Amino acid sequence: MEWKHRHVLDLDTWERPDLQHILEQARSMDELLDRPIKKVPALRGKLVVNLFFEASTRTRVSFELAEKFLSADVVNWSASGSSTGKGETLRDTAWTLEAMGADAVVIRHGAVGAADYLARKLKKSVVFNGGDGAHSHPTQALLDLYTAWKKIGPLEGKKVAMIGDVLHSRVARSDIIAFSKMGSSVVLSGPATLMPRSVEALGATYDENPRSAVRDADIIYLLRIQKERQDEGMFPSLDEYHQLFGFDAALLKHARPDALVMHPGPINRGVEIASDVADGSQSMILGQVRSGVAIRMALLFVYLGGVRQ
Amino acid sequence: MKILFRNGLLFDGTTLSCEKTDILTEDGIISRIGKGIDDEGANEVYNLSGLILSPGFIDLHCHLRDPGQEWREDLLSGSRAGAAGGFSTLVCMPNTDPPVDNAALIRYLLEKGEECEGSRILPSGCLSRERAGKTLAEMGKMAIAGAVIFTDDGSPVSDTNLLRLALLYSSRLGVRVMEHPEDRSLTSGAQVNDGICSTFSGLKGWPSSAEASDIFRGVSLSMDTGVPIHFTHVSAKESINAVRIAKASDCKVTCDVTPHHLCLDESMVIGSGYDGVFKVTPPLRSASDTDALWEGIRDGTVDAIATDHAPYHLDEKDLPFQESSFGIASLECAVAAVLDEWKRRKEPCPLERLLSLFTSGPARLLPEKWRTLGLIAAGSPADLTVIDPAFEQTVDVSKWKSKARLTPWNGRTLRGWPVMTVVRGKIAYSLIDRVSGGK
Amino acid sequence: MLIEKAKVMTAQDMERILKRMSHEILERNHGLENMIIVGIQRRGVYLANRLGGILAHFESTRVPSGVLDITLYRDDLTLLHDQPVVHSTSIPNDVNARKILLVDDVLYTGRTIRAAMDALMDLGRPASVQLAVLVDRGHRELPIHPDYIGRTIPTSKNEVIEVRVSELDGKDEVVICERGEG
Repeated sequence: MEWKHRHVLDLDTWERPDLQHILEQARSMDELLDRPIKKVPALRGKLVVNLFFEASTRTRVSFELAEKFLSADVVNWSASGSSTGKGETLRDTAWTLEAMGADAVVIRHGAVGAADYLARKLKKSVVFNGGDGAHSHPTQALLDLYTAWKKIGPLEGKKVAMIGDVLHSRVARSDIIAFSKMGSSVVLSGPATLMPRSVEALGATYDENPRSAVRDADIIYLLRIQKERQDEGMFPSLDEYHQLFGFDAALLKHARPDALVMHPGPINRGVEIASDVADGSQSMILGQVRSGVAIRMALLFVYLGGVRQ
Repeated sequence: MKILFRNGLLFDGTTLSCEKTDILTEDGIISRIGKGIDDEGANEVYNLSGLILSPGFIDLHCHLRDPGQEWREDLLSGSRAGAAGGFSTLVCMPNTDPPVDNAALIRYLLEKGEECEGSRILPSGCLSRERAGKTLAEMGKMAIAGAVIFTDDGSPVSDTNLLRLALLYSSRLGVRVMEHPEDRSLTSGAQVNDGICSTFSGLKGWPSSAEASDIFRGVSLSMDTGVPIHFTHVSAKESINAVRIAKASDCKVTCDVTPHHLCLDESMVIGSGYDGVFKVTPPLRSASDTDALWEGIRDGTVDAIATDHAPYHLDEKDLPFQESSFGIASLECAVAAVLDEWKRRKEPCPLERLLSLFTSGPARLLPEKWRTLGLIAAGSPADLTVIDPAFEQTVDVSKWKSKARLTPWNGRTLRGWPVMTVVRGKIAYSLIDRVSGGK
Repeated sequence: MLIEKAKVMTAQDMERILKRMSHEILERNHGLENMIIVGIQRRGVYLANRLGGILAHFESTRVPSGVLDITLYRDDLTLLHDQPVVHSTSIPNDVNARKILLVDDVLYTGRTIRAAMDALMDLGRPASVQLAVLVDRGHRELPIHPDYIGRTIPTSKNEVIEVRVSELDGKDEVVICERGEG
């Protein structure tokens, strides 16, 4: 298989075979996670820098585990705040990393376009977007695809109901694109003020009624609701949100009986999701965490494991 | 000093002639227009065969960052850049540091402008004191000192009463009010067009309604007071429609559009991988908005093309999109970009209509004394721009006279360029060799 | 581009050779007790299955078998042309204290076997590891020697031995190819 993408920035230029290849590679990596010795020497001698401008324990730890299981050398470079505030520009940081010989850089940044920017500045290193502003979070979308695919098989023709703050969610953007490319239909629900302007252009539809959005869904994907959105006046109150859009066992009944419940975490119990479904038998929330390590191992190996022309 | 321009195709500000015409300038004034003017006594002679000889182009809206932000641009670099871009006159915006809100700074700009070798500098003044949008600036004193426009550009005049007072107060001064149309309550935190770009990027959307609603408000005030108002950098279809309707109701409203909104659209923000070079206020709009601006040019809704040249230092612009500064630098390729786009769109309007938007169009919006800048007539100032509609050149921002080092057009080959700029009877910029004369 | 030069083993040859190797395995190990046959992805897996079938037939007892993917243990990936693909590893039994019979199609530099032994060791501590290969083509770069050899075929480095199995390639055969211009 020839791999044509130089970085992992966004999934909008990926085709279905690309996604499928990563899912299959993740399955091989997933096997390793069951072994007593999870470490393999595949990326020995490769240097991966985790460049985190935003606090994100989950994504960073997941990447770090994946890197360590593949025997890469790992450096965690934390920088808080914007790149401009600290005096050093991201451009200078990029050149510094390359001078240190980083084979790959995982970047999490609050500004949209930060990963693309880094990729433009780096001549050799591979850039993995660990989330840029509200734009994109491709590894999250891939791990979500993998979680669902591992559980229910081919995603063609499946219905995904996504409920919550789509407008501010990089996870939603990447997941809508990823599930659509795999042939699933994606229906969004939530307050109209939390929806992007051109939902159809993303490949999704909008249904303001969560009950009809969830009807016969194979996957229900819940998005985190942040308190600050209430403070910004995007909706009247968290309480009202929970009453109108909060996901609970009653709403789950409208979905297919074996529907999967997913959430990128961390979850707000009692806001976007009730504890009974978050901890219920259909919840995939912890499975997603495990998938995250497998999918990131797959990506690291595909990008760093072979010949890069 | 006498300069003879021979065999040019004359555009006098309204009509483009197919016949070869000669123009003789004498000490900064156009002294003769005709055929076969004798070159005897001319210090310099230029043959403009196949080239268009136009009144000097006027940029109604550019940011020269002087005083106070000279690391981005200053009058000298801006003036040279203007001349290289084909502009004989630049109207510089007052959102400097400190803002140009008093007569002393107007005089500073005019005096320093006199020393510049490039474009003529005409200063605009703030509408409000300290550009704070609270109380009127000393518009009377600034008008006497030479301010040619009043604007708080960079910001709208959000206080409706203040805008109304400004229209009433300036009506006797002969200086027009220019509004930067934006409802700030709709654009707080916004970064890109509210549409495809906001949807895909996750960046906060800047809706067209933020611009159109401010235009509707300004139109109401203009109709109420009977005083003209000018809207700058109009970018959206709804805004053009608002201006069109207002004009049809005999409202004294005018507007300009920018080269970047005519040539670029929001798809390029996404396509470039969120390159900050495409970040601008108002944001690049949809392709249908761009089409609407060209339709506005065709049907006469648009009165001028103004660059909104907004230079920055590389460190303020070469950043991840969300952190990059708002503004596109274009002074040295704006005319070429528009001519190229006009050609690419298969000439949606007559060329003379397009040329008038750089000349007589903006000149009409200036105070009475400057209106002749937009015309070629005996006795007018010898401000001229020569256009070669067939000349192709690749934009190389590293060679610019402007301090800007990023532009969306860098590396693009454009067809149709200004090849000579004459200011006050002096050659401020030229790619054309002299035929004879000179000492 | 590969140009086929000569067929060095037919389906019948292959069957005879695998039977002979099975006898050698039984002779040396005094039976199949405590043994696991492990095929190396991908063609080694099919050869291991053949050997397992023949051994089961001879001894009337099934030998546990597994598959081993060594992609993540290779040290020569930068020399490979395509994007490496990780396949499944699945060994049903605990390898601790078992006799492991590793099976691969072609033994060349020895790097694959080195990687396979590393992979095995990460799964546990076998009592012993033996190696069976269908073709030994020489040019070893590591001190590795097979216990059971189907056939030794001297080759030049410009040649490639292709082992074909009916499950993947439609028929059983071994051919020598040469890298041509292209």
